[in-house]
Amino acid sequence: MPTSSPRGRSGRTPAARNRRPGAAARARVRRSLRGSAPLRLRTGFVFIALVMSFFGARLVQLQGIEPEKYATLAASTGGTVTVELPATRGKILDRNGRALADSVAARMVVADPVQTRRKAPDLARFLARRLHVDYFTTLRALTQQDSRFAYIARRVPASLAVRVVNAATDAGYRGLATRNDPLRIYPDHDVAANLVGFMGTDGPLAGLELTFNKQLQGRDGSETYEVGAGNRIPLGHSTVTPAVNGTDLHTTIDEDLQWYTQRVLRQTVLGARGDSGFAVVMDRRSGEILALADYPTYDASNPQAAPAKDRNSLAMTSPYEPGSVEKVLTLSGLIDAGKVTDRTRLLVPGQLRSGDRVIHDWFPHGTIRLTLAGVIAQSSNIGTAKSSRLYPPGQLRKYLTGFGLGRRTDIGVNGETPGLLPSRAQWNGMLQDRIAFGQSVSVNGVQMAAAVNTIANGGVRVDPSLIEGRATTNLGQVVGTDEATSHRVVSQNAAHQMTQMMERVVDPDVGVAPSAQVPGYVVAGKTGTAQRVGPTCGCYNGQFTVSFAGFAPADDPRFTVYVVVQNPRNGGGGGTVAGPAFSKIMSFALRRYGVPPTGAEPSHIPTTW
Amino acid sequence: MSSTAPALRARVPRLAGAALERARLTVVPKRTRRRTSPVPFLLVISMLAVGGIVGLLLFNTSMQQASFAVTDLQRQADALQAQRQSLQMQLDKLRDPQSIALKAQRMGMVLPDSPAVLDLRTGKVLGDPVPATRLDPLRLLAPPPTKPAELDPPAHVTVVHPPATRHDAGNSTRNTTGDTTGDTGRRSHDHSGRAGRNDHTSHTSNTGHSH
Repeated sequence: MPTSSPRGRSGRTPAARNRRPGAAARARVRRSLRGSAPLRLRTGFVFIALVMSFFGARLVQLQGIEPEKYATLAASTGGTVTVELPATRGKILDRNGRALADSVAARMVVADPVQTRRKAPDLARFLARRLHVDYFTTLRALTQQDSRFAYIARRVPASLAVRVVNAATDAGYRGLATRNDPLRIYPDHDVAANLVGFMGTDGPLAGLELTFNKQLQGRDGSETYEVGAGNRIPLGHSTVTPAVNGTDLHTTIDEDLQWYTQRVLRQTVLGARGDSGFAVVMDRRSGEILALADYPTYDASNPQAAPAKDRNSLAMTSPYEPGSVEKVLTLSGLIDAGKVTDRTRLLVPGQLRSGDRVIHDWFPHGTIRLTLAGVIAQSSNIGTAKSSRLYPPGQLRKYLTGFGLGRRTDIGVNGETPGLLPSRAQWNGMLQDRIAFGQSVSVNGVQMAAAVNTIANGGVRVDPSLIEGRATTNLGQVVGTDEATSHRVVSQNAAHQMTQMMERVVDPDVGVAPSAQVPGYVVAGKTGTAQRVGPTCGCYNGQFTVSFAGFAPADDPRFTVYVVVQNPRNGGGGGTVAGPAFSKIMSFALRRYGVPPTGAEPSHIPTTW
Repeated sequence: MSSTAPALRARVPRLAGAALERARLTVVPKRTRRRTSPVPFLLVISMLAVGGIVGLLLFNTSMQQASFAVTDLQRQADALQAQRQSLQMQLDKLRDPQSIALKAQRMGMVLPDSPAVLDLRTGKVLGDPVPATRLDPLRLLAPPPTKPAELDPPAHVTVVHPPATRHDAGNSTRNTTGDTTGDTGRRSHDHSGRAGRNDHTSHTSNTGHSH
């Protein structure tokens, strides 16, 4: 080993020595061409710094000095496209899921006048023919100066708009496009229009459309993406904010029944030459409103055609004095308080002094002998006022509050009037005499229907509702059948006695409203003929409010129907004007819901003694 | 190394002979560098590059195709959606209770007054059925709108007195209308300013217009 290792070392050394001169020579050549390493390094860094500083300067220019200019430049080259993803507005449905208000995808046809100006007359003729737009308006739009945007037609059904624009493009016209422009349609025109309301150009203007706008409208989304030649660039930059569609609103309205009620109501109001009227159909058990018809009404598809005053629900917004229908509430409370029964015998004088005034009946009479049932059947003001004096102070008001008077029903109709129930402080004997038969107290239609429904429902008042399930109004109020509560107002026995008395109203011999009978069924009801308070003078103006409220089948009620006509000019009263309408509507409802006649006999409680 | 080798040799004397022979360093024969051709390498690299580029191109093309297909299908879906909605609108129009009632009435159908109900459990007929009649039909159409007063002036009547001819339009019109229409008509005329719409029925019959 000692011998071998020096040899090995010496063996390597000569080789290294041999290579060195060549390498040195090469290195010398290299140095002359590229300079020394530090120099090269420095030069490189300076170069990089130079380039980077250019980049930096450009960055500052782009982002710091004039960012908007470049952003608009980028957007205008059409590299990216932002499309609105319109939220679909929720439908308004009836109880069977049929649409009272529906949204369909429609398009607006827009033009770029810069491109359309050249062939404007031809294009205008083409569009006028295909889209049924006005030729001259279109021509003006197509030739506009200084604009790159003009409306040609709005809310055109999508299929038509696309077909027309494609046909125009094929025919060589440039500069037309379509955009989203959702259309709200009301397939049934005037059916429930006063409740449903309508949409303006930019938003809801009335009715449920307005009250539940937050729920119905949803939230529009948008999508931004890069396009090339009309097609989306795959893997290109894109952002999507998805649209949140509106939620459907389910009402308790029955479309067919609502339609029928409206037609009967119109015929009734026109026949009586009245100013206006309304009718309510309520499900006895659930308090659901199956129909709430108003006349005058309007076509929700064309609201501008009708005056503004015809477009809201007078039944809900306009307070009126209920008149004799109120006697049902007064006397059933009195029976519940144990002061009278349906057979209580009363001596009814020809007139009754009440403070400085005198109360009369609608028919002149001397002193007559009526039972309490007779007071209801003959609708005697004097009999009612006289019996109501049996109430201890404050108790009538408590009953009326229990029946829901003076308090909004909160079914979800905008601008509902709470009616007017005089406060405890205002209450006095004279006032109570008048309130007993329905004067000096005002109500709205649904309030009164729900009060009468209390009797039909065995003395338990169920909150009326117009919304199936539950929905939140724009004001944050939760309404609907899920929120409806019920409470007992009068005993079952009192309600039963009142029903028996109300059956006498439609009796042809002793009652005042035989025309309210429904063939085959036992009906309980009550007429109302009230003097009307004038809008300006605050006094009775010689006009009348006639009404009929009732339920059937009387022994197991299914529906409560309430019909009111304002200012009939044919001299009719509650029995002759509203009675027949009640009969038709009730008959239709019973038939539609397959309610068989119970086969019961109407009551024969004596009305006189 | 020079110190460890003897120590190792001392510790393993038995292996000394053979190990020594094996451990002897020899000069490595100079490796002859065979210069291989660069062609296969370049071929592989260029194939990779070309393959990559072509693959990328194909991928891109297929993506584009898919994008076209998406745009196309989207358009088709929009068109079908629009078609569905217009059909739905037609259906709604046909299902509108008003149009059904109008058709039914045109066919001569009437609303029943009092139908009978057959109870399937007992086989009994409930209610007292009455044949439907055409009396008192349901009025389905709204009354035509009344013309504004300017377009529907009261009839111009000239009263000719036997001795002398006199034109007194305002006065004589009122008189004549009052005479021909009776109490109801006069009342509706009195009210016409406030509630023109509602006195339509009487108005129509007065002036003999049929709208």
